[in-house]
Amino acid sequence: MNKTFVRGVAVAFVALAALAAGFYFSAGVQRAPPAAGLLGLALPDTEGREQRLDQWQGKVLVVNFWATWCEPCRDEMPEFVKAQAASGAKGLQFVGIAIDQPDKVRKFSHDLKLNYPSLVGGYGALELSKALGNKVMALPFTVIIDREGRVAYAQMGPLKPGKLDSIVGKML
Amino acid sequence: MDCAPISTGSPPKPLRPDSPSIGWLTGIVAAVLYAGPMQAFAVDPQLLPPEQAFRFSARALNDRTLEARFAIADGYYLYRDKFRFAVSPEGVVLGAPELPPGKIKTDEFFGKAETYRGTVVVKLPLSAGAGQTVVLAADSQGCADVGVCYPPTRQKLTLAVPAPGAGPGALVEATPPRKNWFQ
Repeated sequence: MNKTFVRGVAVAFVALAALAAGFYFSAGVQRAPPAAGLLGLALPDTEGREQRLDQWQGKVLVVNFWATWCEPCRDEMPEFVKAQAASGAKGLQFVGIAIDQPDKVRKFSHDLKLNYPSLVGGYGALELSKALGNKVMALPFTVIIDREGRVAYAQMGPLKPGKLDSIVGKML
Repeated sequence: MDCAPISTGSPPKPLRPDSPSIGWLTGIVAAVLYAGPMQAFAVDPQLLPPEQAFRFSARALNDRTLEARFAIADGYYLYRDKFRFAVSPEGVVLGAPELPPGKIKTDEFFGKAETYRGTVVVKLPLSAGAGQTVVLAADSQGCADVGVCYPPTRQKLTLAVPAPGAGPGALVEATPPRKNWFQ
């Protein structure tokens, strides 16, 4: 066998592998992207003050995309309030990103006695979650970022309390 | 819903490029196959995009009535009070949509909410549209039983409104059936 032929076969094999990998990853299995885009985000809080997400870098950051019109989102939030109260001192920080209107977010935050900030984003903020694996842009969507600023976990749909503890516990 | 974390593979064996010409290629493949420490990711690949979960279609029943339909996939539902309809061009006017009663769902925050499953048919009175081509836009908002909700989604389609006395128009789909190589 001549060298060119071997090289040709090798190139074809590598190209096929790349193609297969492309299909594999586009079929729903997601690779954890860097959280840089998310940490660089600045959104208004419920009082209209701009807040940058990187102000919490160095903490174990749980970013929860939610909305008041999303019942499963609201259902899981009391657990987040408990976890924030229990582990905030150890460096756990929840931050909500509400795809919603500020007045609705303010009222719900007050009613729930939310003990972590909830920023208010529009559709653009939801678009950002797409890059983190939220392909259909549904809510809730939660991203856990480690102390080094890397995405450690991302979940579409409610995060069960046991699941949250098992992931975050190791990081605190 | 609680998805099991999906492992995204394992680091590949080192590739040794035997010439500069394929070196760049192996580099690309290595980058594709290995992008740092493996991390847990639980993103449900089965979840439908909203325009597939809530398939919108419509037809003109006559010169004064449009009929909008939502075919809701199993395991998904739409909120009755979140529907909004609009028609263009200017001059063509839609009346109040006739929404059938839904199923009452009690919601702690919003009180009682009515939801639809299966197929919903909404009648839309129309004026000054006879013989025209109109664009019907429908906003809808719904959720999936697995525990996720979609933001309000706008879908559009173009309809030919018949002349007075003419029969109903053909049913028009907003989104063509999904082509998926993996199904």
